[in-house]
Amino acid sequence: MTKILSTVLSLLIFSCIIYAQDNNFKEVKDIENAQLDLAKLSENTNSIQSTFIQEKHLSFLTENIISKGEFYFQSPNKLRWEYSDPFKYIIVFNDKNILIKDENKLSTFDTESNKMFSEINNMMIGSIQGSLFTDSERFNVKYFENTTQYLLELDPKLPEMKSMIKTIKIYIDKSDISVSSIKMIESSDDYTSINFTNRKMNQPIDNNKFELK
Amino acid sequence: MKSEFRIQKIEVLNIIRSSKFVILNSIFFSLLLFIISCSNPYKNLAKSEYSINEIQKIPYALPYSEQTIIYKTDISFYKNDISGLLIIKKTEESIYRIALTTQFGLKIFDFELNQGNLKVKYCIEYLNKKIILNTFETDFNLLLMQMNFESLTSYNNQLENQKVWQLKSGKLNYNYIQNINSDKIENIRFMKRNSEKISVGLHNYKGDIPENISLQHHNIKLKMNLKLIQ
Repeated sequence: MTKILSTVLSLLIFSCIIYAQDNNFKEVKDIENAQLDLAKLSENTNSIQSTFIQEKHLSFLTENIISKGEFYFQSPNKLRWEYSDPFKYIIVFNDKNILIKDENKLSTFDTESNKMFSEINNMMIGSIQGSLFTDSERFNVKYFENTTQYLLELDPKLPEMKSMIKTIKIYIDKSDISVSSIKMIESSDDYTSINFTNRKMNQPIDNNKFELK
Repeated sequence: MKSEFRIQKIEVLNIIRSSKFVILNSIFFSLLLFIISCSNPYKNLAKSEYSINEIQKIPYALPYSEQTIIYKTDISFYKNDISGLLIIKKTEESIYRIALTTQFGLKIFDFELNQGNLKVKYCIEYLNKKIILNTFETDFNLLLMQMNFESLTSYNNQLENQKVWQLKSGKLNYNYIQNINSDKIENIRFMKRNSEKISVGLHNYKGDIPENISLQHHNIKLKMNLKLIQ
């Protein structure tokens, strides 16, 4: 009897932990309606400016590795990621060009010749701007929600991508349909989560943010 | 016209002669260098022998640090440039985890170095090749002083203000070169039959940990530059 009780108890505790971790997310019942809602993300997003905090979790470390910076997006395909702490690194995607400023070293690539960067570019722009959710060729998408957020879980279908990433979780605030955080989970369960803070939507961004000298 | 031709001829001959001289000279010097390099360069220096258990006498703290060490890292390998964060963590005695992630966080590789043997926990496909993994194994063994060796000798080079700690294993020589003034290891040289294969510079120590490390292979086009961020 005590055995059964303790099993039930531990199951309860265990499910409570899962419950707490997922912030009460439940599977979306009316997916079509959610999709309509989420379509606003790409329709209404002309530009985003935001600061971000990135946390890298590695199983063999007790503490996460934290980096910070700024983020700029201009529809349809301009993106600037700027890490400022604890290292300086800027990557700009401008149409087909990729510019990287690493400390003071500037390098340029084009997305067509560099497959890895072009994947990163598609993933970053796609998750922020919403085109990734409808990319059923490359991802299986599951929809969850709670009172304040949608949670989209994207499982890559293509083997090259699958070998790097198990799931991408995208958290979207319902109030203004904007991405508040992204979590990329690797096959080993190590993950990177990026939280966007101080988001400014649809405000003009100086074009020179997408150029590097 | 004729004289002009003669002058040209003389010039050409001179060039040939002088280049012959240069060639002969360079052969002579390379022979000399070869002879010098074949002998132990530290032969005439005051030396002390140690047992291999006394390796901790080498004032090199990187392998013993219990902290998580993070270096911003650039690797250039033939025409490939890889950049990211290199995370080194000693998990147990003689066991290390060494992972490289991109700035965005995605893992490039995650290795365990266990008593000098590299085990792959994860590695992106295009680096997951035996020859590349063996190279990483040698490099990280050198950086973390984890290679197997049979003898440990130190040489005092007062003239250069250096103390050279030499770990030997057959034809392989690992030299950890200590600056006597700063008491820090500032160079590491890996030699095979006395020809230098890898050299490492360790600079700007922050406490016990070097802020800058540059590792270069001499027989393949591979360079690593590390800058401490944590």
